[in-house]
Amino acid sequence: MTLSRAQLLVLVAFSIPVAIELRVLFGFFGIDLPLVAVVAFEAVFLLLIAVAYMVGAEPKSATKH
Amino acid sequence: MATFVDRYPDEAAVVKACLTVSFTALAIGAFFGLVQALHRTDYFRFISSVDYYTVLTGHGVLLALVFTIFFLVGLFTWAVVQSLERPMPDIRLTWAWFGLTTTGAVFAAVAILAGLIPSIDMSADVLYTFYAPLQAHPLFYIGLAMFIVGTWLAGADWFLAYRDWRGDNPDERIPLQTFMVLTTMLMWYLSTLGVAVSVVVFLIPWSFGLVETVNPLLTRTLFWYFGHPVVYFWLMPAYLMWYTVLPKLAGGRLFSDPLARVVFVLFLLLSTPVGIHHQYLDPGIAEGFKFIAMTNTMFLLLPSLLTAFTVVASVEHGARQRGGKGYIKWLGALPWRDPAFTGMALAGAMFAAGGFSGMINAGMNINYLIHNTLWVPGHFHLTVGTAVALTMMAGSYWLVPQLTGKRLYSRPIGLLQVVMWFVGMVFMSNAMHRAGLVGIPRRTAEPQYQSFDFNAVIGTVGELQAQIALGGTLLFLSVVLFVFNILLSAIEDPIENPVDDSLPAPLSGASGSPRVLDDLRLWTAIAVVLVILAYTLPLASIVGDAGWFGNVPGVPVWVSANVEALGDLLREVVA
Repeated sequence: MTLSRAQLLVLVAFSIPVAIELRVLFGFFGIDLPLVAVVAFEAVFLLLIAVAYMVGAEPKSATKH
Repeated sequence: MATFVDRYPDEAAVVKACLTVSFTALAIGAFFGLVQALHRTDYFRFISSVDYYTVLTGHGVLLALVFTIFFLVGLFTWAVVQSLERPMPDIRLTWAWFGLTTTGAVFAAVAILAGLIPSIDMSADVLYTFYAPLQAHPLFYIGLAMFIVGTWLAGADWFLAYRDWRGDNPDERIPLQTFMVLTTMLMWYLSTLGVAVSVVVFLIPWSFGLVETVNPLLTRTLFWYFGHPVVYFWLMPAYLMWYTVLPKLAGGRLFSDPLARVVFVLFLLLSTPVGIHHQYLDPGIAEGFKFIAMTNTMFLLLPSLLTAFTVVASVEHGARQRGGKGYIKWLGALPWRDPAFTGMALAGAMFAAGGFSGMINAGMNINYLIHNTLWVPGHFHLTVGTAVALTMMAGSYWLVPQLTGKRLYSRPIGLLQVVMWFVGMVFMSNAMHRAGLVGIPRRTAEPQYQSFDFNAVIGTVGELQAQIALGGTLLFLSVVLFVFNILLSAIEDPIENPVDDSLPAPLSGASGSPRVLDDLRLWTAIAVVLVILAYTLPLASIVGDAGWFGNVPGVPVWVSANVEALGDLLREVVA
């Protein structure tokens, strides 16, 4: 799967409400998720998106022509 | 291929003027929003907590009324002209309503902003909800009255254009965009009767001292008679763009023209007889009337859900035309690089969240939990603050090049701007909703009570404050980027074809749908009957209890000299 820069930006944006609401979701089950866990989740998520972007990116030579 | 400005240069000039006023109000209002966010959260205070209410009123009026409605009148003029394919009947009338509306808005803004200058004995710190007993300077009410009359004249202008078109096309279906404009304006005429009566009959004579007292519940009820339909007046331009522009930007076509017409008819019918749902905690209105308002409000979910279906189906069609496949993967085929598309899509997504929190507001019993808390601004920053505002900004990236004949200065900056708005609003509105759930009040510069701590259910109140301050800052930066991008676009060199402004025909056109959908007289008559049923008895009861002019002398916010007299008045009102 190739990700464009615009798609990358939108995915990063969508990860933020997911991360924020993660604590609420866990709260439904009586688990008090600490803030640092949310930050770690977001960091891992961003890392995965970045890897997906770099793996899927076309090599530079392919875009020159 | 000629664009709008080439075909209709006079109309393009009016639309540009409307958008200029709109974006000026957006810039000032957004700055006031930043001031509020930082002041309330105690991160940065450079105004007094007394001036906070001036800033709060300015933020509400400039954004909720001036930014949105000037964008609306510009967009609707564009929509009528381009869908009827003819110029306005008399451009002098068009400029006249623009002049009247602008003068009214300036009067109201001057009355509000004068509150920041102690040497001027004028103020209008009555908040966006400008009902009694808080009393503004007369200039504020006069400005509002001129503003409303200006919008009425704008509507008359569009109806005249439609009448001319109908004369030449007696058997044609009303073009969809014009149909949307006309139904929205019929709703507006019906709903603004309340605020017009409130301002002209009660508030202006009262602010001039011609009558000494006022009936606060009557002016509140008349305000909310208008105050909920105005929400749909803001929203309908966004719907117009979601239905007619977004599918095109996605690469497809509108899924169903008849469904779009049904939605706008439903909004005409159902928008007005619901205002009492803002008054669930008001004494003096029987619970039964509130229950009726709640039921009517829940019916309003229907056109919103129809819209969600139709617009998403249209966008999916566009994605599949671009090669998108699968149940979810088609999302990747959408033109996310286009700020106009991305902004409108993100706005629509957040509107879903705003709709769900609105159901909480509308429920009579559960409303008690969040009434007058930060939950409420959290809700309307998702609806008017994102569904409407973000759609208007994103739509401008497609609309402005048509009006100027110049290309957009930077699409990447536009994309960053709309995404930044989305992220900022996620932070801010999420925190506001959660803060509201623990009872943190709205409309105050000093939200903390003495000897009492709010306890957040999840996380801490400090985290919520940080989210609000961060979100407010991102939103302000987003507006700076928007204004910067539009201003630089205005000084580009004109080019021949700055944007593809053609709109494709719907997949399912109007021809196969019942002609009764276009019967505007019938729908208006039903809407009037529904309003009479919902409001006659409550209003009769309110007037019967305290009379037309009540017995409350009011709290003039612009009398700065005699604090003791003001205290006496307050005690009298409370008593």
